[in-house]
Amino acid sequence: MTLSELILHEPNADSLQLWLKKVPYAAYLGIKAEVHGNEILFILPKDKKIIGNPVLPAIHGGVVGAFMEQAAIFHLIAKMDDPSVPKIINFSLDYLRPARLRNTYAQCTLSRQGRLIANISINAWQEQSDKPNAIARAHFLIPDSN
Amino acid sequence: MPKHSSSKKALMINEVCELIPHGVLQGICLESIDGEELTLRLPYRDELVGNPETGTIHSGALTVLLDQTLSTAGICHDSLGPALIPTLDLRIDHLGTAPPGKDIFAVARVYKVTRRVLFVEGFAYCESREKPIARATGSWLLIPKLEFDEIAPIDQAGAQQQ
Repeated sequence: MTLSELILHEPNADSLQLWLKKVPYAAYLGIKAEVHGNEILFILPKDKKIIGNPVLPAIHGGVVGAFMEQAAIFHLIAKMDDPSVPKIINFSLDYLRPARLRNTYAQCTLSRQGRLIANISINAWQEQSDKPNAIARAHFLIPDSN
Repeated sequence: MPKHSSSKKALMINEVCELIPHGVLQGICLESIDGEELTLRLPYRDELVGNPETGTIHSGALTVLLDQTLSTAGICHDSLGPALIPTLDLRIDHLGTAPPGKDIFAVARVYKVTRRVLFVEGFAYCESREKPIARATGSWLLIPKLEFDEIAPIDQAGAQQQ
């Protein structure tokens, strides 16, 4: 089944895992998802291959951003009435603390979804969700359904 | 006159790239230097694909390349002595998509240095510099190495650009 077909299924822990496996880059980073009630929790597992700074050691800042983008994309798809693969327009990322070599978590808030545009904010943390390592915002273009 | 000759700067950029394990795994390497502007290359790999139906590279792989290219332009800037430059923020506009199967290039230059902040801009392209697929801008906090050694324990001394 293609990704476009897979996303038509009810988003739950199992289907999200299937979506993530379909995206080669998400699979390469090992991104996982869990569903807790209405919330989707995305996980970037600790892995030596994503180290950016070997001295601390810390995760490559770009990988933290990539993980947050992927979380935003699938969060948006999961919340769409008529799911389709959105296109990223822009991404604005603030780094608050270095991400150490441990699991990183992300949760998204769909700030607004219109017919054409979605605005999503993303919170990424390691120890406590109220002490984010990075926060980000993204705009997505929603493809025409016809 | 620039403080670093081109070849010395190339050595410095290569050294920085080699210090970043994830960048090395991605094969990110120096492509060219033109004055204050540097270009890094991200070789195409199937693992970088974001949309399996079109074969285009994941926007996140571009984020990794742009983050590293802009950071490297910052840490290798001619006016800087040894310093640590944690990233404050990065903003990326996606102007187009990379054709499948192609290497991506990212260009960056520092456009303003203040006592505390480096402002860096750049873009990514695939086939021609004239057709950027993404544009990026970001800022980095400037902490001279000497100052950092005074305020932090030695084992923290690598808290630099990533």
